Amino acid sequence: MGSDRKIRVLVAKPGLDGHDRGARVVAYGLRDAGFEVIYTGLRQSPEQIAAAAVQEDVDVIGLSILSGAHLALTRKVFETLEAQGAGDIPILVGGLIPEDDKRALQEMGVAEVFTAGTPISSIASFIESRIVNA
Amino acid sequence: MSDTHDDLERIAEAEEQWRRDVVEPRLKRFQIEKSPTRFYTPTATRDFDFLEKVGFPGCYPFTAGNNPFDFWRAHAEAGAKLGIRPDSPGGGAGAGRYSGYGTPEDYRDYQLRMQSLGSRGGPNVAFDLVTQCGYDSDSPNALGEVGRVGVALDSFRDFETIYEAFTGERDIDKVASNFTINAPAAVIIAMYAALAEKRGISLEKLRGTPQNDILKEFIARGTYIYPPRPSMRLFRDTLVFCRAHLPKLNVTSIGGYHIREAGATRIQDLAFSFAIGCAYLQAGVDAGLEIDDFAPMFTFNAFGGSMQLYHEVAFQRAARRMWARLVKERFGARNPRGMMIRQPIAAHIGCTSTTLQRPLNNLARAMVGGVAGGMCGALPAAYPPFDEPLGLGHSLEAIQLQVDATRILIYEAGVADVNDPWAGSYFMESLTDETEAAAQAELDKIDGMGGAVAAIESGYMQRAIARSAYERQKRIDSQEELMVGVNCFTGEKEIEVSVNRAVEKLYDPGQMATAEERQCAKLAQLRRERDGKGVSRALGSLETSAKDEGANLMPDLIECVKNEATIQEICDVLRGVFGEAEPVKL
Repeated sequence: MGSDRKIRVLVAKPGLDGHDRGARVVAYGLRDAGFEVIYTGLRQSPEQIAAAAVQEDVDVIGLSILSGAHLALTRKVFETLEAQGAGDIPILVGGLIPEDDKRALQEMGVAEVFTAGTPISSIASFIESRIVNA
Repeated sequence: MSDTHDDLERIAEAEEQWRRDVVEPRLKRFQIEKSPTRFYTPTATRDFDFLEKVGFPGCYPFTAGNNPFDFWRAHAEAGAKLGIRPDSPGGGAGAGRYSGYGTPEDYRDYQLRMQSLGSRGGPNVAFDLVTQCGYDSDSPNALGEVGRVGVALDSFRDFETIYEAFTGERDIDKVASNFTINAPAAVIIAMYAALAEKRGISLEKLRGTPQNDILKEFIARGTYIYPPRPSMRLFRDTLVFCRAHLPKLNVTSIGGYHIREAGATRIQDLAFSFAIGCAYLQAGVDAGLEIDDFAPMFTFNAFGGSMQLYHEVAFQRAARRMWARLVKERFGARNPRGMMIRQPIAAHIGCTSTTLQRPLNNLARAMVGGVAGGMCGALPAAYPPFDEPLGLGHSLEAIQLQVDATRILIYEAGVADVNDPWAGSYFMESLTDETEAAAQAELDKIDGMGGAVAAIESGYMQRAIARSAYERQKRIDSQEELMVGVNCFTGEKEIEVSVNRAVEKLYDPGQMATAEERQCAKLAQLRRERDGKGVSRALGSLETSAKDEGANLMPDLIECVKNEATIQEICDVLRGVFGEAEPVKL
């Protein structure tokens, strides 16, 4: 991509979980790190998230889920992106994700799972090195 | 204090000399700019008036505690010798341990298993997010969430299923029920009333606590449905109805800890919670209720939550004094019971203080919260269990250690033997004053905006909390704030302590995986079997009443519930009249 274009990140809260501290903190942090961040707000359906990702032409999607619905919701976001021809947008997942599910998400195609205690700089450098410049 | 002006001047001079002779040489010796410690003298509390600022436990302004001792403390030693667990929820006839998962059938069976292990209390119900957001289990919005963070509930039939575990000695005229639900709280209260009617039990005998604290949902927990103003109308309707018909039901449990967990500072937590509390009190006054009649039925849901031991004790002391003054002075209350912050636990560390890294350390952390709780007149609750951040439910081992930690503080350390042990401390009194003054200034600011509802509508509170959460994260990322095992002491010299942890046998996670399918099948059956005309009639009447701001919706809600309208059908009618709240963006 051109060096003048900022990396665009969609931070999204799928499902009904209202715990958005992590999503907001990551959104602020990535914005301060120089990314262009779009935060969806709470309770977005997989369809809304996929539509926003396509419309905003984002480089990566970050899903924040703490309710335990991460497997079903992430799968649905993948399917919806695929159906819209945007299956190549990488997905990161953050939240309360048990160890076994972390592996399941990665097998599903999630680029990385970030849980509590992750510094924002780690997320930022992951996006820069492993996704955008991979 | 009683020190005269001359005494204070002498102390101030001596303090100056101490700084020169003792502190400054040490700064030079250790080559640091500023002292990492502070020492407080009587000069920190110059105008301290004991009776005005502290008083006695059980007396206004309740700084020293709501009571000299509570039930659990009165019988703590006797209970320990008899093997009774006054410190454990479910041991008495109040609501038991917070729980809920799967379908109503799963949850009913869980309750029966708990009872076979000695639980005597009523249900303390966690609802799934589908129910909390006013959807049915077959809604597209329900994907992946059915029966997940709580029990799924679509109709009165489901409510009755849960209560099949509560009959005879545990019937609803004998045990209390708690309902952690907010936006549809009125619907759940309607179900509780309908169940009593069906069982021939007088509504006056119903006890319990619905969370019913909708304003906090907009700034912390996120399960709102309607915009703030119609949400407040629903709150008013529940308040007025409960005072008239369910006099023993606590009307609300006002959140404090949710706000802190969402990222609020201590001062924001105090100010926002009280702004919200005042909005609820005002709703009662505006509806023509007597403050002394209804304020005593308000409860709080554990204010606070951080590792900063001293600050959390000061916070609880300031909170008790501030709320007492607000209720008395702003609302003209005379009944002291309405001036108290009634909450299940007081100071504690808050779940966000626990770490995923070396999780057994969370037991040490929880212990600090227990000490703080004990030092401010509450059960020294070493909460939460150490495996909280693993996201798998608390194991029986972790719960055992949590309860034991609390017991060690009570029985071995004697933490709960003295009321307000910090009363009169130069340090603690000045910290309490500072906390109160800062929170009062923030509360005044919100009052200036038009109160809690206006400050939520403008997004002020939501943004302030998100900003605070981010500032905290920056302090952690930059090591300005240190967390053991997270941003320091993470090197190879540290040992990754692993923990054996058996999943609680009472709780089958497999049932959660099939809950959606089973719940949807029952919902389809309900729609086939019920009297569709009755449903339409009840929903139509609800819509008409909803359009009349002066009408109380509770009678209509009870009719809807009895006719087996679903949660979503009821909430959809109200969505149509009230509209839906928009989520706040960055």
